[in-house]
Amino acid sequence: MMMIGYIMFLGVMLVNLIGTAIVVVLMDTDPWMATQLPWLTPKVYSFILLVFANTYWVMHFSFTNLRLLNIEENRKLLGFGFPLKRLARYMIIISFCHPVNIIYNFTWLVFLMIQIDFWYQIPVAILGVILNYVLIYSIKHRFLQIIERRFIAVVVGFVILVFSLFQLVQMVSTENVRLLYRIVPRIETINAFLGWMPGGLLTKAANLDYGLVNASIYAALMAILIGLIIVDHFNKTCDGLHRPALKKVEEVSSQLWKVLQRILGNNAGKYYYYVMIHPYNKLQLLTLAIIPIVYVPLLLNVNYEIAQTIAIPTILAGIPVALLAMGMANMYGYENRELLLHLQFPVKLEKQLKERFLGVIILPLLVFYLITILEIVFIPQIGRPLNIFVGNTFMFLCFMLLFIWSSYYQYQKAVYSSFSYKHPIISQKVTFAISFTIFTVGYMVFVPLNGLEWYRITIMSVVIGIIGIYLWGHMDVLVNLFKKRILIRIWSDL
Amino acid sequence: MACLPSDMPSIIIESKNNMAKAVSINELEKRYEDTVVLKDLSLEVPEGSIFGLIGPNGAGKSTLIGVLTGLLSYEGGSIEISGLELTPENELDIKRQISSVLQPPLLFEQFTSLEFIEYVCEIYEISKDGLIEKAYSLMDFFEIKDFAKIKVNKLSSGSRKKLAFVTAVLVEPKVMFLDEPFEAVDVISIERMKTVLRKLKAKGVTIIVTSHILEVVENLCDDIAILHDGLIIAYLDEISRRELQKDSSLHEIFEKYVEVEHKDDIVDWL
Repeated sequence: MMMIGYIMFLGVMLVNLIGTAIVVVLMDTDPWMATQLPWLTPKVYSFILLVFANTYWVMHFSFTNLRLLNIEENRKLLGFGFPLKRLARYMIIISFCHPVNIIYNFTWLVFLMIQIDFWYQIPVAILGVILNYVLIYSIKHRFLQIIERRFIAVVVGFVILVFSLFQLVQMVSTENVRLLYRIVPRIETINAFLGWMPGGLLTKAANLDYGLVNASIYAALMAILIGLIIVDHFNKTCDGLHRPALKKVEEVSSQLWKVLQRILGNNAGKYYYYVMIHPYNKLQLLTLAIIPIVYVPLLLNVNYEIAQTIAIPTILAGIPVALLAMGMANMYGYENRELLLHLQFPVKLEKQLKERFLGVIILPLLVFYLITILEIVFIPQIGRPLNIFVGNTFMFLCFMLLFIWSSYYQYQKAVYSSFSYKHPIISQKVTFAISFTIFTVGYMVFVPLNGLEWYRITIMSVVIGIIGIYLWGHMDVLVNLFKKRILIRIWSDL
Repeated sequence: MACLPSDMPSIIIESKNNMAKAVSINELEKRYEDTVVLKDLSLEVPEGSIFGLIGPNGAGKSTLIGVLTGLLSYEGGSIEISGLELTPENELDIKRQISSVLQPPLLFEQFTSLEFIEYVCEIYEISKDGLIEKAYSLMDFFEIKDFAKIKVNKLSSGSRKKLAFVTAVLVEPKVMFLDEPFEAVDVISIERMKTVLRKLKAKGVTIIVTSHILEVVENLCDDIAILHDGLIIAYLDEISRRELQKDSSLHEIFEKYVEVEHKDDIVDWL
C-alpha cells in the first residue's frame, strides 16, 4: 500500500511539474492566450519564463536527494571485499537514479527541449542539465555538512527567508496589477539579472541562438566541467568510504536534562528530554514555527471571510496536535530497549507510563491554551470564544486518542532520519492520516453554521466528555497493551 | 532431567537442599507464541553463591534471565526470589533487591555515564552520601573514569558492558543477574570483574551469570547448570564437578551433556 501511495505521489509530482513547464513555455503561442492576456508582451513572457526556470531551480536544489549515498551503511560492503572504486561509482549512479532526481532532471529536459530552435542547442541543453545536477549534488553534499555544524544559524536564516518570501508572495498577490505596472518599465533589467541566475542560464542553453561554433565551445567546456566535478565527487566518496569520520567524543553536560528532571521528574523528564533532543523533532518544531508565522498574516489579509473562519483556526488548532504527534504518536520509539531497564526499576509500570503520558501532553497543552487565548483576544473575527475553545479542545482530544492507539500499534525505532520516507519516526501511514485528518476535522469543526452552531457545540462537548472518561479509566488497558504489543518487540529489537 | 547421555551421571539438585535459596524456579514454562523456549524448568540457586548458567546459543539462557528479572512473562510454574514469590504484589519488593546486566547491556544512550549511574541509583533510592566517590572508584577500577562525562552512545561495546556492570553493583542488590557480562570486555577487566564478584559473594550477594567463556565460568562459579533446548540437563555442584573434572575439563563435560554432534566432515570441502 505504501509503495502504491509513493508511486502515486511521484506520478502526481511528475505530471504537475512537466504540465506547468509546458504551460509556461507554450503560453505565448496560443492565440486564445493573446486575447485573454493582452499584457503578455514578449518581454513579460521572458520574465515569466525566467521566473519559472529560477524558481524551479530552487526547488530542484532543495529536493535533490542524496539519501542513497549512505556512506555509513555502504561502507560495510568493503568488509566483504567489494572494490572501493566500483562501490563509489555505483553509489554515484544510484543516487542519480533516485526517482525524485530523475523527475527533476527529466522535467528540465522537457522544459528545455520544447524551446529548442536549432539542432546544436540539443547537446548544449543536455549537458547543461547534467552539469546543473552534478553541481547541485556537489554543493549540497557540502551544504549538508554546514547544516550539521551550524544548525541554529541555518534554522534562523531559513525562518527569515521563508517569512520574507511569503510576505513577498502576499504583496504580489494583493497588489499584482500595481506591481506589474511598476515592474514593466524595468523588466529588461530584471530579465537580464534573472538570465544569469542558474535557471536563466539553463533556459538560455535552449532558446538563445549562439551559433554552431559557440555551441561546440560551450559543450566542450561543460563536458570538461562535468568530468572534473564527477571525478572530484568520486574521490570524495572514495575518501568518505575509506576513512570513516571519527565519532566526536567530547565531554558534555546537559542543562536541559537537569531542568526537565527538576520540573517533570525522572520518568517524564527523561522521556521529554529524548523527544526534545531528537534532530527530527528540531526540524518538526521549525516547521511548526514557520506555518503560523507565514500563513496566519497571509490569511488575515485575504478578502474571503470564509477562509479566515476555517483555515486560521484549523492551522492554529493543528499546531498543538502536531506537537502532540511528535511526542506521542510513536511514544516508545525514542527509548526502545532502554525501556527494558525502566521495567526492571522498582517503580510500577503503570506509574511510569502515566508519568510519560502526562509529561508528553504538558507542552502541547500549554501551546493549546496560549493559542486559544491569543485567538480569542487578537483575532475575534474567526469565531466566538466558546466555539473556538470547544473546537480546539475537541480536536486536541480526538487526536490524543488517535496518538495513544498509534503509539501501541505503530511502534518503531525512532532513528535519526529527517523526513525520511523509509525510516520516519512516525510511520507514513500515521503521518499521511494525521495531515489529512487535521484539515478534514478542521473543516467540520470550524465551518460557520450560524444559527445551527449550538448543535455542533453540543455534539463536540459530549464527545469531549466521552474521550475524557475513556482516557481517565483506561490506563490499565494501556499497560496491558504495552506488555502485549511493545515489550516483546523491544525485547527482540537488538 | 531429560535425554542424558548414558555414560554421564544424572546430577540432581538435592545435594544442597539444606541451604537457603536465593532463587527457586519450579516447573517454569515460557513460550513465544507456539514455540516453547523453557520447558518445565526447575532450578535452585543457593544464597551467597556464584552460579553459572551455560548452554549453546538459543538454549534459553537470556530468556530465563529475562523472566527472572521480570521483563518477560511466563506461562507456567513459579519463581521465588529472596523468599518472595514473583507475583504482581511482590514485584516491586523483588525488583528492589535485584540488578542485572543484559546482553546487549541496557543503558540510557543520551545520558553521560555519570548521569546514567546517578539516575539509576536515585530510582533505587541509594544514599547519595559517597555515591559519586564510589562510582568514580569503580569506574577507575574498570578504566572508564575518563568517560564519566561522555555520552553513553559514544562508548565502545566493552566500555558499555563495564558501565552496565558498575551500575548494577552500585544499586546494592541481593541478587545479580549477569547475561554474558564478559563478552567484548578485555582480559584485564574480566579479571577485575571476577574480583568484584568474589567480593560481592563474600558480602552475601547471590550472582547468576551466563557466559560462553567456559574457563571463566569454571574458575569463578560455585555451581554450574547446563541449559539446552529450554531444559536444565545438568546441575554441577562443587562435589559433582570435582568428581567429573578429575578426567575432563568443563568444556569436555559440556560437549558430552549437550551431545555435540561433530560436523567437521560437513566442511571437508574447505
